Amino acid sequence: MQEIIDRIHAAESPLIIRGGGTKNWHGEDTKGEVLDVSSNTGIVSYEPGELVLTARCGTPLAEIEALLAQHRQMLAFEPPHFGSGSTLGGTLACGFSGPRRPYAGSARDFVLGIDVLDGNGQLLKFGGQVIKNVAGYDVSRLMVGALGTLGVLMQASLKVLPKPQSEMTLQFECGEAEALQRMNEWAGKPLPLSASAWLSGVLTIRLSGAESTVQAAHAKLGGEIHDRGAEFWKGLRDHTAAFFQDDVPLWRLSLPSTTPSLNLRGKHFINWGGAERWLKSDASASEIRARAAAHGGHATLHSGDKSADVFHPLPDALMKYHRRLKQQFDPRGILNVGRMYSAF
Amino acid sequence: MISNEVVRHLQAILPPHSLLLAREDLKPFETDGLTAFRNTPDVVALPETEEQVKQLLAICRETGTPVVFRGAGTGVSGGALPVDGAVLLAMTKFNRILDIDPLARTARVQPGVRNLAISEAAAAYGLYYAPDPSSQIACTIGGNVAENSGGVHCLKYGLTVHNVLSIRVLTIDGEEMVIGSEALDSPGYDLLALMTGSEGMLAVTLEISVKLLPKPERTQVLLAAFDDVEKAGSAVGAIISGGVLPAGLEMMDKLAIEAAEAYAGAGYPLDAMAILLVEVDGTQEEVSEDVMRVRDVLLASGATEVRTARDEAEQKKFWAGRKAAFPAVGRLAPDYYCMDGTIPRKALPAVLKRITELSAEYALPVANVFHAGDGNLHPLILYDANQPDAWEKAERLGADILELCVEHGGTITGEHGVGVEKINQMCVQFGAPELLAFHGVKACFDENALLNPGKAVPTLHRCAEYGAMHVAGGKLPFPELPRF
Amino acid sequence: MQTKLSESFRNTPEGQEADRILRACVHCGFCLATCPTYQVLGDELDSPRGRIYLMKQMLEGAAITSKTLKHLDRCLTCRNCETTCPSGVQYGHLIDIGRKIAEQSVNRPLAEKLQRKTLAKFLPQQKLFGGMMRLGRMAKPFLPASLGSKISSATAISKPSHSITQPARKMLVLAGCVQPALAPQINVAATRVLDAIGISLFEAANAGCCGAVSFHLNFQEDGLDAMRRNIDAWWPHIEAGAEAIVMTASGCGVTVKEYGHYLKNDPAYAEKAARVSELTRDLSEILLQEETALRTWLQKRGPGEAKRISFHSPCTLQHGQKITGVVEALLTVAGHTLHPVSETNLCCGSAGTYSLLEPEISTQLRDRKLGHLSQPSPDIIATANIGCLNHLQSGTNTPVRHWVELL
Ligand SMILES: Cc1cc2nc3c(=O)[nH]c(=O)nc-3n(C[C@H](O)[C@H](O)[C@H](O)COP(=O)(O)OP(=O)(O)OC[C@H]3O[C@@H](n4cnc5c(N)ncnc54)[C@H](O)[C@@H]3O)c2cc1C
Ligand code: SF4
Ligand code: SF4
Repeated sequence: MQEIIDRIHAAESPLIIRGGGTKNWHGEDTKGEVLDVSSNTGIVSYEPGELVLTARCGTPLAEIEALLAQHRQMLAFEPPHFGSGSTLGGTLACGFSGPRRPYAGSARDFVLGIDVLDGNGQLLKFGGQVIKNVAGYDVSRLMVGALGTLGVLMQASLKVLPKPQSEMTLQFECGEAEALQRMNEWAGKPLPLSASAWLSGVLTIRLSGAESTVQAAHAKLGGEIHDRGAEFWKGLRDHTAAFFQDDVPLWRLSLPSTTPSLNLRGKHFINWGGAERWLKSDASASEIRARAAAHGGHATLHSGDKSADVFHPLPDALMKYHRRLKQQFDPRGILNVGRMYSAF
Repeated sequence: MISNEVVRHLQAILPPHSLLLAREDLKPFETDGLTAFRNTPDVVALPETEEQVKQLLAICRETGTPVVFRGAGTGVSGGALPVDGAVLLAMTKFNRILDIDPLARTARVQPGVRNLAISEAAAAYGLYYAPDPSSQIACTIGGNVAENSGGVHCLKYGLTVHNVLSIRVLTIDGEEMVIGSEALDSPGYDLLALMTGSEGMLAVTLEISVKLLPKPERTQVLLAAFDDVEKAGSAVGAIISGGVLPAGLEMMDKLAIEAAEAYAGAGYPLDAMAILLVEVDGTQEEVSEDVMRVRDVLLASGATEVRTARDEAEQKKFWAGRKAAFPAVGRLAPDYYCMDGTIPRKALPAVLKRITELSAEYALPVANVFHAGDGNLHPLILYDANQPDAWEKAERLGADILELCVEHGGTITGEHGVGVEKINQMCVQFGAPELLAFHGVKACFDENALLNPGKAVPTLHRCAEYGAMHVAGGKLPFPELPRF
Repeated sequence: MQTKLSESFRNTPEGQEADRILRACVHCGFCLATCPTYQVLGDELDSPRGRIYLMKQMLEGAAITSKTLKHLDRCLTCRNCETTCPSGVQYGHLIDIGRKIAEQSVNRPLAEKLQRKTLAKFLPQQKLFGGMMRLGRMAKPFLPASLGSKISSATAISKPSHSITQPARKMLVLAGCVQPALAPQINVAATRVLDAIGISLFEAANAGCCGAVSFHLNFQEDGLDAMRRNIDAWWPHIEAGAEAIVMTASGCGVTVKEYGHYLKNDPAYAEKAARVSELTRDLSEILLQEETALRTWLQKRGPGEAKRISFHSPCTLQHGQKITGVVEALLTVAGHTLHPVSETNLCCGSAGTYSLLEPEISTQLRDRKLGHLSQPSPDIIATANIGCLNHLQSGTNTPVRHWVELL
């Protein structure tokens, strides 16, 4: 840790914080020296009975998940890995969550506390290791998804959950509109849903829970059992599925789950019960953004020509407070400058 | 005191029934759910339109007048306690549910809507709003957002922060912003998390969208009696380690049982030293399995009796008693002081034991009623404010209990907020760098500290004084800090 | 809550009672949620907790003005707050004390005084009121809507209101003040039903208004006199073995049940008053107690015309007397279908003379209540108090009846 602190102290120009480097592509391109934080590893404490795990942020996700699996527990936000070396810190900084997100919660929802080095190299400890904590502003959750622009994540405590006894993936042939209707209707019923996606005429859902529960839900909903369900969801989660394998720009649209088909050029798949839409399209950034915004959502460019902004532009008022927060936590402008918005 | 000039400005924008100025009318607003702290406000505003709120904040900004927001005034940390020279702005007239979208499972409401009213309105669609503070009958959703309130179903369904989709706020700079969205995330920083639990110090909330959940197919509540508080504490950990995630897991000790029973007539066993209420929910099959598993764990942990509610009516009664337990202890003593420390579950037996000892040392009864599954303690210190020194004693005992929680790796507040009440304990919980960071965050949104000033985050000066005053001396982060 | 009563109240019985009640309040705010005036106005000063605080400061010696009086006046005395309060705060008793002191400390505007006095003196007088109603009915077409709507149409009465068969068991029944003029059929129906199950009802000569009207208008002494008069009227019959005093209006019932409380400081009446209260029963309580006999009679009688009914439980029944679910059960036993109603705990806005004194709030509450009672639309709205009955009827074409008329 001291080494990282020294680097921050010594820095006169921006640093690029790097953990496993599996998400280097995410966000705006930035310039600066690399600050490698991948050696800050180790699980600090884990007590299955408390449902809490604390680890240093360079710890590989895979290591954490393996340990949890030994105790039949899991990270319920099902973080994408995007490669073998992904770390806890990178995952939290990007705020990525996987298919279970709409039903279980997002990365930030499971964060209980974070220790962070601010732009002055000062260690700040927010939150803690207990399930509930409202002492002080919730800065630990503010750090999630901030792309390292507010501080270097050093250590985090997460709430973990028991793994479901059993899971089943089911498929239904249906059109997009019908799939959206079903996903939303089912989410409003007491069903053990844990993922739902639609891709080229097939609605795929996952059920998780006690064996009997899953069986009963299957009996109620019908559908074909997908025998390689785990693989299917992993392919979507980590973007290894065939859908992602071409050079057309990839957009992620985050929308209210009931938003009808956007009718944008290109191919798309629907995730998160309708709330996340991945789009492979060469339509213009402004067209895509306008369409998303019209439905109360936003669009992020995941791959493709970054001459347009990667992230959805913020209204002026919001931008004003973003800048102030950046100034507060990183007054010298050292950490991941411009990774989120060029303005800071 | 607020100047006549400010009052004149306020009179220009608010009708007489929305602006209280007479001492007679102001006094009832001097306190919230924590009556040990009282301060008669100079002015109470009860606006009816957003335009009035905007104009009011503009007046405050231009004249440098502080503002304290108030919801239902059920807060128990003095969040809505009036501040000298401030306008107390009550949001209670904004009590309309604007829209419920059953397909998208969202409700859009004004901040003065009562927590329970949302679930009541959503019930027609088989949906409900999950966070259910025990005060849910009365507390407002605006207050819930400001405190990041929890409830008896937090363990499984999360706190307010996990169930709010977006809020529309107005800052003291006059900026109106939608934070969050009805999509599951939004671009930029997670300001929604930052605003939630910010105790009315960053902005006023004008509108809130919350997520609604489907009512579980079935719920069942088990009631387990114990002849020993520590055994009940151990059973809590055992249930969760056993792989069941109950929807609610609550504990009450003998005093709390007595009080709650007198109000609710729930049939709690009056001879037990402690009871656990365990709610499991899910599908038919799941609930049956979980009930069996939980029952086994409870019996193995030494429960003297395990009952399941006969029907929905009895389930409701079990919860009604629990939810009314704080005010019901008003039957045992004229006043109570409610603590909110949270600890790792494994520390429950030890902490409960120490609280019993402390209660004896201070000669003040303590009733325990709390969210055991979350490790969120609510020791209720019973006292009589009409007795000289009683409050001071209760306050000292409270401070000891909170610091005990920090010692066990916990926190001074799980869901009630810091307010004015736990401000000294913030010095124990956090070091100077974090406190400075909090002040920095505040300054980002409210440069001149006009919103609820002096609450939630202590000045370092105050911490230095507290450190010096405190006998625990060296252990505290600030004993040596110079005054500045 | 901490209290510091002023010198002048600290040692009076009233002051001490008020102090005990105030101290039981822990200021949790739960009661705000179910207070009708707070629901409508959203101002803490029009909530139970706010009123408690207003009374606290008054008892602590602060000077008060008509502002405090106004907020106390606006209280419906529905006592929903008591049902809600986990701490057992006896708000109803506190507001009686608070109102009395406030009335003494503040000079009401003359017009208000006159209005209240007229109501307090005139309504309780059965004969006078009856005569006025007859006049009013004739004049209805010429009266302004707000008044006219309160005058119900006459109901033809075919049967006498005393028992015909004269069974052996005897119970007193209170005629009340406005009921004989507005809805004499209620006591007729009660007599008929009790007759059928072997109980004979009779009215005591000289008994009249229960005292609530004047008492709650803050002519507390007049109210107490009415109570004494009723006790005197009933006492010989009680000594002669009347089993109970039956109330067909829950508003009167709640008052008579508290005679013991109201007269506890009157040595001449305290004991008798307590006895009277002890013997007082709402009609529904009697029928619940005689359920077997009731069922037998209903069976013998055969099914009547089954109706779809929405029942409005008066505050004086559910909050004042804490009787819930009984009337609903009786109506179901009689073969009717009861509609589920939301916000059942909320007042309809009638509240004795409230509908005349605070017409705006009262009408809002009435319409809100009628909204709930007519979703889905019933054949009949049933209730248990003459005040609610008349008030609700003024806002709907659906017939509103006392439940006993439907047995
Ligand atoms: C008996 C009892 C039981 C309780 N049980 C629980 C429980 O189980 N869990 C729990 O978490 N809490 C509990 N509480 C605490 C309390 O009910 C919650 O903190 C609640 O969220 C407060 O809501 P309120 O509307 O009363 O807010 P208030 O008390 O009026 O205000 C609380 C804070 O919110 C701010 N605020 C209010 N409205 C706004 C707005 N529109 N914009 C910005 N700021 C605003 C105020 O400034 C203040 O800082 C309990 C309280 C009582 C008395
Ligand atoms: S519910 Fe009872 S204790 Fe709570 S504020 Fe109201 S009267 Fe007081
Ligand atoms: S009696 Fe009714 S109107 Fe009066 S304060 Fe209580 S709930 Fe409100």
